[in-house]
Amino acid sequence: MSDKTYDRQNPAFYALLIALVVMAIGPIYLMLATSLKLNVDIMSDSSSLLFMPTLRNYETALCDFLWYEPEHLRRCDPTFGRALVNSLVIGLVSTAITLVIGTMAAYALVRFRFMGRDVVSLWTLMMRMVPPAVLLVPVFGIWTFQFGIDGSRGGIVLVYVALNLPFVIWILQSFIVQVPIQLEEAARMDGAGPFQVFFLVVLPLIKPGIAAASIFTFRVAWNEFLLANALADRNSRTVPVTIVNSLTEFDIDWGVIMATGMLLAIPPIIFTFVASRQIITGMTAGAVKG
Amino acid sequence: MPEIRLQQLRKDYGAVNVIENLNLEMADGEFTVLVGPSGCGKSTTLRMIAGLESVTGGQIMIGDRDVSLLEPKERDLAMVFQDYALYPHMNVAKNMSFALRLARMNKSDIEARVKDVAATLDLTAYLDRKPAELSGGQRQRVAMGRALVRDAGTFLFDEPLSNLDAKLRGQMRAELALMSQRIKKNMIYVTHDQVEAMTLGDKIVVMKFGEIMQAGTPEELYRSPANKFVAGFIGSPTMNFLNAELVDDAGTLFAKGDGFSIPLPDARKGALQAHRDRNIHIGIRPSSFAEGPGGLKMPVILSEYIGAQSVLISELGGQRVSIEINTVAPIRAGEEREFTVQGDEVHLFDPKTEAAL
Repeated sequence: MSDKTYDRQNPAFYALLIALVVMAIGPIYLMLATSLKLNVDIMSDSSSLLFMPTLRNYETALCDFLWYEPEHLRRCDPTFGRALVNSLVIGLVSTAITLVIGTMAAYALVRFRFMGRDVVSLWTLMMRMVPPAVLLVPVFGIWTFQFGIDGSRGGIVLVYVALNLPFVIWILQSFIVQVPIQLEEAARMDGAGPFQVFFLVVLPLIKPGIAAASIFTFRVAWNEFLLANALADRNSRTVPVTIVNSLTEFDIDWGVIMATGMLLAIPPIIFTFVASRQIITGMTAGAVKG
Repeated sequence: MPEIRLQQLRKDYGAVNVIENLNLEMADGEFTVLVGPSGCGKSTTLRMIAGLESVTGGQIMIGDRDVSLLEPKERDLAMVFQDYALYPHMNVAKNMSFALRLARMNKSDIEARVKDVAATLDLTAYLDRKPAELSGGQRQRVAMGRALVRDAGTFLFDEPLSNLDAKLRGQMRAELALMSQRIKKNMIYVTHDQVEAMTLGDKIVVMKFGEIMQAGTPEELYRSPANKFVAGFIGSPTMNFLNAELVDDAGTLFAKGDGFSIPLPDARKGALQAHRDRNIHIGIRPSSFAEGPGGLKMPVILSEYIGAQSVLISELGGQRVSIEINTVAPIRAGEEREFTVQGDEVHLFDPKTEAAL
């Protein structure tokens, strides 16, 4: 009886659902479809859902990594391939560095008593409130004129680490607080030094936190445009910057841009999938009497 | 197995003084129980011995070494925590071998020792399980096992049985007693349960407000408590306290109160002479009452029949009194019965200082 009333919904509700689905999936479908079309099909006035799908655009974008030479290319342009490598390297390296520094800083802030601890704890988060656009000019100035590391991958990694650290420290603090202090005391009684307590007892228990933080960090580094655009040169450009830079007034190769866009979406999905498997609740179950 | 000495030990938390001038000696291989109500400083004392809590003043000597400022791992101790503190990401075998692996012992030795201890604790079948997959009693045994695999000179226990249900607690208590007989090491055990203290300890240290009220064997504490607090804390059901007056009647001293007058043995006369005609507190253990003719007539208000014994709640001079007697059949409430008390089983206390007279 109640099932029936549950089943029958206002048609407007379904219309709204469909609209939302179209809004969510539409752009991705358009990107996928365009990436599989020839330029002739893309530019033709009679835009049709029926076309001959081709992987040509992907071949063009990835020509550097192919073991064969695509027939349609006269010359292989390495721009997109290089950008993908740059994005991967910068994303992974900055994530790794952020996590190493972030876990240690968070642990120190939670467990050690030192002067200025509360101030540091508060201000790490406040720093995150500053919009990257505000940082753009000073960072560009310092990176270029003081450090001389503009246009290198290292420079971009450095700014991403600085950008992500506050949030990572903040999120990991809440995970470390939940590790029962008795476990650390037990480890100390068992003969563990401070680093052994950290690496052998605390770190395995905050794995879910580290996974969450790494997803966040990698995603920010992967998508960031503003600072990368200011700091990168031809050889260190990331994918978002490259895509925007390939929209010129002379030639816009929509097919290749959309293919790159599709390729851009894949690594974060894989990364998130792998990392999220580490997010298991109840890591500390059975440690102490609850 | 060195002896342990606490000398003038002191602990402050900021401006709050928790422990002041604590002096205690524990002999080689002795099972010492620190007991007292919560907040009496017993756990803090244990944690200072362990090295988990810093020492504000005084010294902790283990053998000839002053360990007050050493790290826990340099003190040759093993500890069992109140809430187990098992490493949740390691299985039982890994939990137990953690200390040995840190000490870089060779693998086959570790395995042999873990197997050995697991067998004595009945844990062999669970070595591959994670702590989350174990029951409370099993977790407690793993926590014990983790301490036992280490050949430490001294074992510390911080209320290890307080999280178990009554039946399991009894079992584990017996296992602990057997274990301490077998391995004969220094053991320091903290509890708030006087039954645990009485059954396990070679020596019991009763604490209150960071001070030692009395230290001695279980029998000493039971037979001749140094003050009212120890008298009331040790023994179950607890001792009855009544107001009385010391009266000399024809050469015999009486503890005279509302509705009772108990003759005291002549042997105590000398010591009590100074308190004649003064108000005192008397303490009578529930088990010191015996049913018999010619005694005090007392009403039975409530009767708890436990089987071989009954605990009766009665009234004497307007004050509640509990009585423990051997029974064959239950005694009904509402009856009036006669009970006698032997004068040498009456404890006398100074009402001001609460010290035993």
